[in-house]
Amino acid sequence: MTAPVLPETGPAAARPLWRDWIESPLFLKSTAGIVLLLLWEGTVRAFAPSYVARPSGIVRIFTTVIGDPQFLAAAGATLWAVAKGLLVSLVLGTLVGFAMGRINMMERGLRYYVNSLFATPMVAILPLVTLWFGYNADARFAIVVFAAFFSITINACDGARSVPLEYLEVANSFRARPFHTLFDIIFPASLPYLLAGVRLAAGRALVGAVVAEFFVSIPGLGYYILYNSRTFKHNEAFVAVIVLVAAGVSFEVLMNWLTRRYLPWSRRD
Amino acid sequence: MSNQVRQAQPRIAMSGAGKRYGALQVFRDVDLTVGEREVLAIIGPSGCGKTTLLRCIDGLIPLTEGELTVEGEHITGPREGVAMVFQHFGLFPWKTVFQNVAYGLKLAGASRAEIEEKIPEFIKLVGLSGFEHYYPYQISGGMQQRCGLARALAVQPRVLLMDEPFGAVDAQTREILQFEMLRIWEMRPTTMVFVTHAIDEAVLMGDRVLVLKGRPSSVHEIVEVDLPRPRDRATLLHPRFAELREHVWNTLMAEARQAEFEVTR
Repeated sequence: MTAPVLPETGPAAARPLWRDWIESPLFLKSTAGIVLLLLWEGTVRAFAPSYVARPSGIVRIFTTVIGDPQFLAAAGATLWAVAKGLLVSLVLGTLVGFAMGRINMMERGLRYYVNSLFATPMVAILPLVTLWFGYNADARFAIVVFAAFFSITINACDGARSVPLEYLEVANSFRARPFHTLFDIIFPASLPYLLAGVRLAAGRALVGAVVAEFFVSIPGLGYYILYNSRTFKHNEAFVAVIVLVAAGVSFEVLMNWLTRRYLPWSRRD
Repeated sequence: MSNQVRQAQPRIAMSGAGKRYGALQVFRDVDLTVGEREVLAIIGPSGCGKTTLLRCIDGLIPLTEGELTVEGEHITGPREGVAMVFQHFGLFPWKTVFQNVAYGLKLAGASRAEIEEKIPEFIKLVGLSGFEHYYPYQISGGMQQRCGLARALAVQPRVLLMDEPFGAVDAQTREILQFEMLRIWEMRPTTMVFVTHAIDEAVLMGDRVLVLKGRPSSVHEIVEVDLPRPRDRATLLHPRFAELREHVWNTLMAEARQAEFEVTR
């Protein structure tokens, strides 16, 4: 009796190279992207008037818009306002959050208000803000801070409260002064929480800036989108949307990189 | 060294010491002295307040009754010259081994040059050379506790407080660290209070073993450990070691067993 001839069963034989390639994330991502773009292009061509934004139209005007000084000024104004607002929120939010996290009386006094203001829709207070600050860039700055401040405060507070008692005991045992403990123990121990707060705040700040520009007509990407949409230049408006998305994504990538580079310990379970 | 000399100038002296948290009396009427070059091992069932007692000596928490002096001075807070090794290491995850070991010395106001010069010496003493730039999460539990020990030793304490230092590492690492600790102590003898729940460890480390027992707990017995120093692996084979171990076992376990059955009943 002869042994039956078995087909080769090694992994290399069972999986031809093209299958590995097809199942690679890069291939799947780009295929899905192309399909979505084609669907968009096809639908707009078939059913919509010619001024509606579509991929080919955006590609055609993309470089012109990106090189337009007026567009660059608008993008710069919005992103600068977001960066400034985030920075101010980060400093103030961390201070208030740490005070709440480490001083029980502060937490009991403020928690309710911070949580309520965090939950307040920023659009709802926009008319009030314009009353206080006028129809200008200050109103946008105020909205950005309002959008970002509370999420950073809440996270800083949670971070400061969750510092393991053991760390504080070690610091105490080695006779650390309160000031030193704050910067050397509480701050680094809260960093993972703070970063989560900043991520959340960045998204909210971007929304806040755009919404403020819509309502208050301050020069910026939001206003650029509004103006171009109303003058039937949808492709141009869409370039501004792409820039906003790119800004959000770049910030996320930057935060990931910073965490990996400078806080390798925080990614451990 | 005779007991007389050891007791002549107690580094640590406690009399009538007690600690209560509200209605809960943790321990009471604790009298003890620890001499200049003496190792006092404290043993007791879990929850008997060994760690609380040690925290009081470190000045982390105040006593509610009685007196406590270290080097003749009343304890009102953590004191220079006293260092503690923590049960769960207490290393800061965002600091490297080097930075963790340097923590106490830096707080004591040492200059950068002084730290650069001294810290490698202590890292070498505990056998962590080559791991200076690792983060705690990258090294094993045993290595983490070596790091915790080096941090305490680096401030050159006259009193070293050990809070179940090898309780959180595996059995083999624990044995290695015990002999390592004995070796280091011979090189740099200090006053040491060594809290443990392992009977072998208490007898191996201590010049005396203090047995805490009862609810609230108090000093049940102080066992004189007349084993020669330096101690090493051979000490474990000493007939006297077995006797002392048995003695402490009987003192400690008689009630522990009773208590266990009481719970089930």
